[in-house]
Amino acid sequence: MSQAVYAMLSRQQGLVHEMQSVANNIANASTSGYKSDRALFVEYLVGTGAENPSLSMGGLGAHTFDLSAGGLESTGGPLDLAVNGEGYFAVQSLEGQRLTRAGHFQLSSDGLLITADGLPVLSAGGGPIIFPPDAASISIGADGSISVDGEPLERIGVFRPAGDLLKEAGTLFSAPGGYALAEEATLVQGALEQSNVVPVIEIARMIDVQRAYDAGQSLLEAEDGRVSQIINALRER
Amino acid sequence: MKSLQIAATGMAAQQTRVDVISNNIANMSTAAYRPRTAEFSDLAYQQVVTPGTITSQTGTVVPAGIQIGTGVRSSTVSMEIVQGALRQTGAELDLAIDGAGFLEVTLPSGESAYTRDGKLSRNPEGQLVTMDGFPLADGIVIPPDARRVSISRDGEVVAYFSDDAAGQPIGNIQLVRFVNEKGLEALGDNLFRETQASGTPNRLTPETEGTGSIRQGFLEDSGVDVVKEISDLIEAQRGYELNSKVISASDEMLAATTRLR
Repeated sequence: MSQAVYAMLSRQQGLVHEMQSVANNIANASTSGYKSDRALFVEYLVGTGAENPSLSMGGLGAHTFDLSAGGLESTGGPLDLAVNGEGYFAVQSLEGQRLTRAGHFQLSSDGLLITADGLPVLSAGGGPIIFPPDAASISIGADGSISVDGEPLERIGVFRPAGDLLKEAGTLFSAPGGYALAEEATLVQGALEQSNVVPVIEIARMIDVQRAYDAGQSLLEAEDGRVSQIINALRER
Repeated sequence: MKSLQIAATGMAAQQTRVDVISNNIANMSTAAYRPRTAEFSDLAYQQVVTPGTITSQTGTVVPAGIQIGTGVRSSTVSMEIVQGALRQTGAELDLAIDGAGFLEVTLPSGESAYTRDGKLSRNPEGQLVTMDGFPLADGIVIPPDARRVSISRDGEVVAYFSDDAAGQPIGNIQLVRFVNEKGLEALGDNLFRETQASGTPNRLTPETEGTGSIRQGFLEDSGVDVVKEISDLIEAQRGYELNSKVISASDEMLAATTRLR
């Protein structure tokens, strides 16, 4: 079978994956703290025999995500927090400690500061943050220090990962390389970080992917026609 | 073609957002209504190539890997804790809560429910009742010969009679607070019920420990900010459209595939 078909097939498969990442970005265009996915295509070489030149194929090599900050949306909620600049909140999930930029927090029935999914938010010291039951006014300073009715409480931890991040469900990131306290990070109370998906870019990417896929299909069709022509020519001999 | 399903989750999420916004707008004149907001979070990631996978014997690893997202879900529709504007009505039994707290009412089942809608009236027995006829849990009975009733900011109810200028205290209205107000279950009719998430009700005298004060002759307006709702609605509608574009693009890609043979 023609090698061109395999080369195209590899690219088409990569394009289908890229389309999925575009769809995921657009689906999460309103998810606060979401970071958009990017696909990276790489060339790889396949040997086609000792005497022959090797074949170059393109395929989806890696996914990266754009960690740039999303816009801040003012909500006025006392427990809606956004990290201005670099840094992440740490939460205690069932699988261990995770990082997140989604700061839509609330209190549990025990006064624990939790995320929308019920995971406890960690303080700068790494412990859970517990509010007194009669807390009336909660104010959180730019450095994360919480004061309840004028009395200082704990400090919300803002951390910076040491290595690469891995995405997990629930706008969480795991940091296999560990993370450390980011002292200079600033928080904004009463605001949420919006998704950093830029719809225009995603739509442009989508059109690009779709047309590239079409082009690939045309090439496959042409290749298919060429092979059948050869078969017909051989049959007529 | 997973992108079809992914875009469908996106459309469903935007649909939820439109539902929440339309309920907020519908309640823009409901006394003491607190607007709700829908929040979203992403779904699980399909690990095609896990980052950190070893690629050679010398220990080189895949730095980024391939993680493909599978869409979005609504994580929560939470109540915003906002104070609605206080509107002066002048009516004797209109109460507004300025600050945190709820009035406690007793449902016909004997269960307690909580409300911030202070449009009260009295029933034939002289009890203070809500517009649905549920009595306040404070058990205040206004004597039939009372000329007027005054309710102080800290909840003291005093009845005045035609033969006595001083007035007689007939009870106190207390306010109920919860650690996590967002965890209350909305029952409709401006009523809420305690849940595991809200914590146990904490009955307090108004104006103590950060509890709000009671304002007689006022009602709390709806906390809905119509301008914000409309801009959110536009955003949700465009979000829905964007997702539908992904569906049609994926569909065309599928069509290109089937065109092959």
